[in-house]
Amino acid sequence: MLQDTQNVVSGISGADIATAAKYLAAGFVMAIGSIGSAIGEGLVAAHALDGIARQPEMEGALMRTMVVGQAITESTGIYSLVVAIILLLVV
Amino acid sequence: MLEHLGEKLILHVMIGSFSLRFDLVTIIMSWVVIVLLVVLALWLRRGLRQEIEEKPNRIQAMVDALVDLLKGQLTSSFASEKLARELFPFISTLFLFVLLSNWLSVIPYCDSPTKDLNVTLSLALLVFFVSHWFAFRMKGGRRYLKGFIEPYPFMLPLNIVGEIAKPVSHAFRLFGNIFGGAILLAVVSAELIPVVVPAALNAFFGLFIGAIQAFVFAMLAVAYINVAVES
Amino acid sequence: MNLEWGKVVTSLNWTFVFNLVNFAILLYLLKRLLFKPALAYLDRRRELIASRMESARADEEKAARLAAERTEVLKTAYEQSRQIVEKTHAQAEETIVAAKSEAKQDAERILDDARMQIEQERAQMEQELRRAYAEIAVLGASRVLNREVKLEDHRRLLDELLAEIGEEALRMEQ
Repeated sequence: MLQDTQNVVSGISGADIATAAKYLAAGFVMAIGSIGSAIGEGLVAAHALDGIARQPEMEGALMRTMVVGQAITESTGIYSLVVAIILLLVV
Repeated sequence: MLEHLGEKLILHVMIGSFSLRFDLVTIIMSWVVIVLLVVLALWLRRGLRQEIEEKPNRIQAMVDALVDLLKGQLTSSFASEKLARELFPFISTLFLFVLLSNWLSVIPYCDSPTKDLNVTLSLALLVFFVSHWFAFRMKGGRRYLKGFIEPYPFMLPLNIVGEIAKPVSHAFRLFGNIFGGAILLAVVSAELIPVVVPAALNAFFGLFIGAIQAFVFAMLAVAYINVAVES
Repeated sequence: MNLEWGKVVTSLNWTFVFNLVNFAILLYLLKRLLFKPALAYLDRRRELIASRMESARADEEKAARLAAERTEVLKTAYEQSRQIVEKTHAQAEETIVAAKSEAKQDAERILDDARMQIEQERAQMEQELRRAYAEIAVLGASRVLNREVKLEDHRRLLDELLAEIGEEALRMEQ
């Protein structure tokens, strides 16, 4: 039993630990990094809807501004995606 | 199937002892996009040659709608009418190129050129240089340089970093969206569910996200040029 | 010249420059083939629409002017007809009044005539009556003279006389 465990532990190399850390880090990057942009985009959409409900005739301009605002808010999420991709495919 | 996920075919061209590297797929696909756009332009122009009648024919109505979209949604946000008229071809070409590039991924055996960071970064840097060129031209050298030390001189590094962050985020936004969609699609179709779902995902990422991102790319180009010219 | 698989994000390479050249060519081609003709076409159509609008507006103005003129003409015509009608009314009124007064005068004259005639006739009749009374009186007197008169006879005689006179008077009156 003890021998088995020792065998397993000694079989783990530094590269294995690095690979595990890479995948873990990629998962965490996406999980945590997307929270902020998700909340931000939701706020943008909520307020845009608020504005449209108040002034339906402004819908076109509001939608346009909303999409651009969401795209800018999405930046941080995209950065985390890029970091995750770099971790998974490049590092 | 996934062993080459996220990797690209690189073409090495030797000029003397100097090696130039090209992405073969990207180059071919961007040529495809250009050919498609030129064919579209020729087809539309043939319709425009006809005499103007009481009712515009189908092609004329299409051109009308297209120009209306490009003018009303994109270049109407410019600060001045002169700027809008001057940059209308640039912004429109940007939009159409990115849109068709994004949409190309829904055609079998085709790939989006915008999946390549080279393409998006080159377009973003082009927008960056265009915006600074217009700012320099419209504001004059003194006021242009003064814009970097506003509101206080010690903000200079921050302003420079902010200016550099613009094209970087501009490029990475498009690249991340399209590339992320492609990766997701590849993973889903190779490892998870190979039927029906990839088609729906392809339609969503290729058509919907592609159109939104193309619009956002052009819109942000307009916004960056606007900010550079105005502030 | 050879091909190999390359890593993704790190592979910034000459595609960058290549794409810039591509984009410049595309910009030139689209500007030449699409945007210039499209904008020219839209300008042409806008001009056409503007000229059509202009002519339509001119037509409309003309129509409005014509309508105003027509209304004016109609108004004057109406006014004139009204005046004519009023004048006619007044004339008719006058005629009626004149006719009425004339008729009244005539009627009064006729009445006067009739009254005068009645008076004359009455006077004539009274004269005749008076003569009749006298005759009756003469008759009665002659009868009285011819025979003795009893009381009763006298009364009867008087009655007869009266009746005769009455009848006579009635006939006369008729």
